[in-house]
Amino acid sequence: MTPFEEYVRYETRRQFFSRGANAVGFAALASLLGTARGGNAQAAEVTHAALTHFAPKAKQVIYLHMVGGPPQMDIYDYKPQMNEWYDKDLPDSIRQGQRLTTMTSGQKRFPIAPSKFKFAQHGKSGMWVTELLPYTAKMVDDMCFIRSMHTEAINHEPAISYMQTGNQVTGRPCLGSWVSYGLGSLNDNLPTFVVLVAKPTNTEQVQAISARLWSSGYLSGEHAGVSFRTGGDPILYINNPPGVPSEIRRRTLDGIRALNEMNYRTVGDPETHTRIQQYELAFRMQSSVPDLTNLAGEPESTHELYGPDVKKAGSFAHTALLARRMIERGVRFVQIYHNNWDTHGNVAGRLPDQCRDVDQPCWGLIQDLKHRGLFDETLVIWGGEFGRTIYSQGGLSHENYGRDHHPRCYTMWMAGGGSRPGTIYGETDDFSYNIVKDPVHIHDFHATVLNLLGFDHERFTFRYQGLDQKLTGVEPARVIKELIA
Amino acid sequence: MKAPSSALRWIRRLSLREKTPFREAKGDNPRPRAAVIALAVLVIAAGWASPTFAAEPIEYNRDIRPILLENCFACHGADSAARKADLRLDRREAAIESGAVAPGKPDDSELMRRILSTDPEEMMPPPATKKQLTAEQKETLRRWLAAGAEYQPHWSFIAPARPALPQVQNQAWVRNPIDAFILAKLEARGLQPAPEADRRTLARRLSLDLTGLPPDAKDVAAFVDDAAPDAYEKFVDQMMGSAHWGEHRGRYWLDAARYADTHGIHFDNYREIWSYRDWVIGAFNRNLPFDQFTIEQLAGDLLPNRTLEQQIASGFNRCNITTNEGGAISEEYLVLYARDRTETTSQVWMGLTTGCAVCHDHKFDPISQRDFYELAAFFNNTTQNAMDGNIKDTPPAVFVPKPADKERWEAAGVELAVTRQQADERRKAARGEFDQWLAAASADSIAALVPSEGLKLHAKLSEGAGNTVTVAVDGQPRPITLADGIAWKPGHVAAQAFQSQPGAAIEVADAGDFEKDQPFSFGAWVNVPRLDQNGSLFARMDDQHGYPGWDLWLENGRPATHVVHHWPDDALKVASNNAIKAGEWTHVFVSYNGSAKASGVQIFINGVPQPASPQADVLKGSVRTAVPLKVAQRHTGSRLNDVSMQDLRIYGRAFSTLEVQKLAQTTRAVWLASKPADQRTDAEQTELYTWWLNELDKPSQELTAKVAALEQEQAAIKTRGTIAHVMQERGEPAMAYVLFRGEYDKRKDEVQADTPNALPPMPSELPKNRLGLAQWMLRPEHPLTARVMVNRFWQEVFGAGLVRTTGDFGVTGELPSHPELLDWLAVEFRESGWDVKSFFKLLVTSAAYRQSAAMTAEKLEQDPFNRLLSRGPRFRMDAEMVRDYALASSGLLAEKIGGPSVRPYQPEGVWEAVAMIGSNTRDYRADQGESLYRRSLYTFWKRAAPPASMDIFNAPSREVCTVRRERTNTPLQALVTLNDPQFVEAAKHLAQLALEQGGEAPAARLDFVAQRLLARSLRAEETQAVEATLADLLAFYQAHAEDAKQLLSVGESPVDAKLDPATLAAWTMLTNELMNLDEVLNK
Repeated sequence: MTPFEEYVRYETRRQFFSRGANAVGFAALASLLGTARGGNAQAAEVTHAALTHFAPKAKQVIYLHMVGGPPQMDIYDYKPQMNEWYDKDLPDSIRQGQRLTTMTSGQKRFPIAPSKFKFAQHGKSGMWVTELLPYTAKMVDDMCFIRSMHTEAINHEPAISYMQTGNQVTGRPCLGSWVSYGLGSLNDNLPTFVVLVAKPTNTEQVQAISARLWSSGYLSGEHAGVSFRTGGDPILYINNPPGVPSEIRRRTLDGIRALNEMNYRTVGDPETHTRIQQYELAFRMQSSVPDLTNLAGEPESTHELYGPDVKKAGSFAHTALLARRMIERGVRFVQIYHNNWDTHGNVAGRLPDQCRDVDQPCWGLIQDLKHRGLFDETLVIWGGEFGRTIYSQGGLSHENYGRDHHPRCYTMWMAGGGSRPGTIYGETDDFSYNIVKDPVHIHDFHATVLNLLGFDHERFTFRYQGLDQKLTGVEPARVIKELIA
Repeated sequence: MKAPSSALRWIRRLSLREKTPFREAKGDNPRPRAAVIALAVLVIAAGWASPTFAAEPIEYNRDIRPILLENCFACHGADSAARKADLRLDRREAAIESGAVAPGKPDDSELMRRILSTDPEEMMPPPATKKQLTAEQKETLRRWLAAGAEYQPHWSFIAPARPALPQVQNQAWVRNPIDAFILAKLEARGLQPAPEADRRTLARRLSLDLTGLPPDAKDVAAFVDDAAPDAYEKFVDQMMGSAHWGEHRGRYWLDAARYADTHGIHFDNYREIWSYRDWVIGAFNRNLPFDQFTIEQLAGDLLPNRTLEQQIASGFNRCNITTNEGGAISEEYLVLYARDRTETTSQVWMGLTTGCAVCHDHKFDPISQRDFYELAAFFNNTTQNAMDGNIKDTPPAVFVPKPADKERWEAAGVELAVTRQQADERRKAARGEFDQWLAAASADSIAALVPSEGLKLHAKLSEGAGNTVTVAVDGQPRPITLADGIAWKPGHVAAQAFQSQPGAAIEVADAGDFEKDQPFSFGAWVNVPRLDQNGSLFARMDDQHGYPGWDLWLENGRPATHVVHHWPDDALKVASNNAIKAGEWTHVFVSYNGSAKASGVQIFINGVPQPASPQADVLKGSVRTAVPLKVAQRHTGSRLNDVSMQDLRIYGRAFSTLEVQKLAQTTRAVWLASKPADQRTDAEQTELYTWWLNELDKPSQELTAKVAALEQEQAAIKTRGTIAHVMQERGEPAMAYVLFRGEYDKRKDEVQADTPNALPPMPSELPKNRLGLAQWMLRPEHPLTARVMVNRFWQEVFGAGLVRTTGDFGVTGELPSHPELLDWLAVEFRESGWDVKSFFKLLVTSAAYRQSAAMTAEKLEQDPFNRLLSRGPRFRMDAEMVRDYALASSGLLAEKIGGPSVRPYQPEGVWEAVAMIGSNTRDYRADQGESLYRRSLYTFWKRAAPPASMDIFNAPSREVCTVRRERTNTPLQALVTLNDPQFVEAAKHLAQLALEQGGEAPAARLDFVAQRLLARSLRAEETQAVEATLADLLAFYQAHAEDAKQLLSVGESPVDAKLDPATLAAWTMLTNELMNLDEVLNK
């Protein structure tokens, strides 16, 4: 270990990404030094530059996570053959003894439930899309579909952790934190990694979303997602107390600064200077955050892109527009969670609500990014934590059915940010149960996303507990070249 | 569109204002390697020279292992799966055997040859690893080989021995042995210790370190003025004697124990486990020796003659996160729980990161995968279910009385057992008396015992033939003849019983006519053939006109009653939670006390009061009706057919439980006693005897009353108390399976509970369970436990451990800055009898601790992170301390120690944003009064959303064990202490105190605030700056009365109406400013 590394470790127990003089991780290093040296001139010489392994295609990310696990065969993974299988049992040759959740493992039968929704082909790519997503259908040629995602987790808590952090056990840093760690900040007054939790219209089967999902794990705490709230103050405590106008706050901050300077002259602790700077940044945030979240300045034509819900605080449409405004201001990673996709029952009743919540806003977001020239450098990701079963959970009729968790295949999509437009990657069997072509594991997906951001996932590491920890874990993972433009 | 990017991440913006010249090249060009190297050089120049000095003998642990670890062990180390060429360099024999190492002969060592090789096929490390040894490292290895290539076990695996104190020049500085070690290092570096801090600074530092709270201004003054030579020690003792000591020490421990108030996963519901927190606080306050502290937490349940307290302590292992997610597979979670407990215990007591060995042999530390599962077996033997049930008292759990009840709770349990025993004995002894009594008794004399006061209507319904029944209305018999005939069936309190049939009902026009404010009671013996018909047993109710009146109702077998003016908006309805049994004679009775409230209704089955649910509870209008009382139906409907009935009674008064019991039993006894003796079955004879004991045998009655009183007392104590989550061992020996890659369903070998091979073996006399494990960790030959603990205690006081990686004493952890001191402290702690208070006293009475924290340019250069202790400790306080400081200095802090968790102010929506619908920790509702101002360790800790303001100050989520918190410095923290209502209210309260008690002159008031916040007076230049701010604030609030009013509305505590609002508002903001000073936020 070099003294230099030791230095960094001493300060934070965090480690420089890669041993030796690997340039990656410079962003994180610079910020560590910032704290360590308290604005010491030496550190100021060291400039922050996001030093990636190779030229990145995407600079920013908007990740739309559909909490609960959307039923892929009702949305994107078209399986017309299933109509002939209505209410017949899922063949053992397909199920292959796979473990089931205890919600359906006791079921006597596994009757097949064909999707009741109509599908049509769209665009040059000929992607099949459900009738429930008319706006999305219009832009399939901008999108890159992966119909062959798979995972090992079968319950929400471990599955969401896996999707977000590459590990089923909690406590690892999530994708957003890794990106913050690797790429650093693009702006002076806002967080690097923001989380928005959208409120679904329908709340039949809402799942837990814990703050652990956007924790920084073993990375430094500054890489944790900052949750912007959809009600009350957008950032906790951002507003002055009542009866304290900005000029009075300014007056007391000047007082704090003056007194802290005197204290510094007595004690000489560089941290005191750091604190002075943090108080100034807090003051700047107090004006930049309300400006960010105030949508009044957006032209009506923009609002219209996102659809009628955009003016409802906390709706998915609202958060999608906020995400664009954040990206525009240099937020590096925006994570939106949309809940209630856990369709154990009542697919017919619920799925239209779920799709309506996200369909036009996703389309609007991408059009909006395009209009502003941000699409090429912004990677948009859409998907849940696993898929759902072709067999019905509970009662089955032609009109309605339910679906249990299914880890062996599910559909995600990407758009912009150097992902290859008009792609349909991977194939599942007639039952949307097993992958028959081009499987993409979560680790492969992460490796590909990191590649788009300019990182070799093998070398994008962080030393913790003696290991060079990676987002993609210890098993081999591969970058899916076909997904990259 | 992009704003220019700044040098640093937003949160750690700091003062780097230089814009990067490389910005435009971002990402396109992995640029300045050179800059990194340049920086590294700068850092080295700043004092981080290589630790090896040519003159010193080579030491494996210090000089060699780091090189091998960095460059070789990943492929040639402990992990058998990753090992290349079957070569391992981490063991001397293996390295020699393979020829890699030839002791004394560097030139014959393959290791040396490969390191020096330039052939890409041969050179080590291989070019692909991008690792390179420096010339100096190569030379070090060569010298080591030449000197004999001696290995050492990893330093922390060698049991500590008490080292001799080092020699120092400045003997006068040394107050205790700690100082000798510290000073020796300083002198070696040519540094002088800092001068001793002044008494005010020390008072504040000691108070914060020993109680977690700022000192009381009076205590500071007394300390400053105390001329006694032992003034300092006295002050230390005073602080350690405070009950806040246990709270403060306990708070650190709760991080390690991952204590929280919710289960953690999915629903994240409430877990009632605060009795464990109280135990921790109490254990520190009574200075429980650390060995006992350890044993009780790891194995309190396994101790012989365990006490309740020791069981509560075993809750340490119940603090882990649990799930109740639908669909979760139990085995998977049981494996996860055992893993969490193994990793937590390893980390907390042994500083080992065993987590790596879950999936494979540890890469660097000598912990094999098998070792891990042998250790996990100790925790794999609990009776606890995988699913927590989403309930607050997931078994195994035990009841914990309030301290004041404890004695009575235990005594009542004993008394109850004794009294029941006595009652049994009386039952055996009194048979003769009973037989005598029975021979002499008559049915009439028994019948006279049935309560008759207030009896308004009595229908025996036992005529047994014909179609006439005789009812007594106010004691006057009245025959009622039914046109349709009556079915007679076998009875229970007489030979024959009336049974309801379709057709006309028995009706009595002048019975049961009550108003809602009159008490009345009613019931009968009934036998219902099936439970699926709902209807009225008897009623006086007009079901044609809004249901005025009342009834005795059966709803799926559950007795219920309606008392109605107008259904459902002006009515009472109460239904028993329990149903009666079909085809069984049952006494059903209702007592109503005339309160017009559902709580005034009590339903009894066989004389036993039933838990019941009110289903309507608004009654305002009259319940009288002109329709007659009818049996087996309401006035026109809700008919019950085939129901047998006897002894229907309506009383014009309320009944006590005892009376109802007497009524039910005695009506039966009359019938049994009236039977000829030879026609009574044995069961009937016993029933009659039981009745006699209850009703007529004085000694039995006294014993029964005593049992009832004791049971009632117990029930009352239970409602006041809490519970403890405890550990409970299964009957069989502890075992576990080695799991392939840690996956719960890929079992390999079965292993028995055992300790890791690299550590001293567990003596055979120790039991192979958690108790044995705890005792093993405390043995003198155990190299880790004492070191790990003293290091963490050191960290609490000095801000960082002697080993900075407090949770990792393994090979990849940091080396201790003062290894001999660490060992000395470890031995001292153990040999003191694990005396925690003595140990802290040792720390805080050292000269090292008493140093001023002021830095000099030289020290900043030579000792930037104070690893050498060249000055006193200074660092930002933890989240809880920051908040407690504001509460305490402002006089708002509640003094209460212990008890259930509280909910202080928190912005709306913090819980709701993450919680599942249906979770009982979804809606956060702040408490009122005292609970808003309790110490922060009592704040309700929801794992999915930890207390918001503390989260921002690096408080962990408590999902997993934390032995070292991060300490960041962010703008979000500034927003908390500037704007959080809790802090604004504290500022307001302190300002108010200053105006009320600080005197009239602004200078005196200012001093009042400064003493409480800084434990000192302001210096002249500070006073000047503060007075200028105050003048501006005053001018503003005098001109803006509405703003002043609004500011003073923050927080629940009242504002002194005598004070001028503008003045108070200005002082509030001034105090808010002072509370945000770096000096306040730092220890």
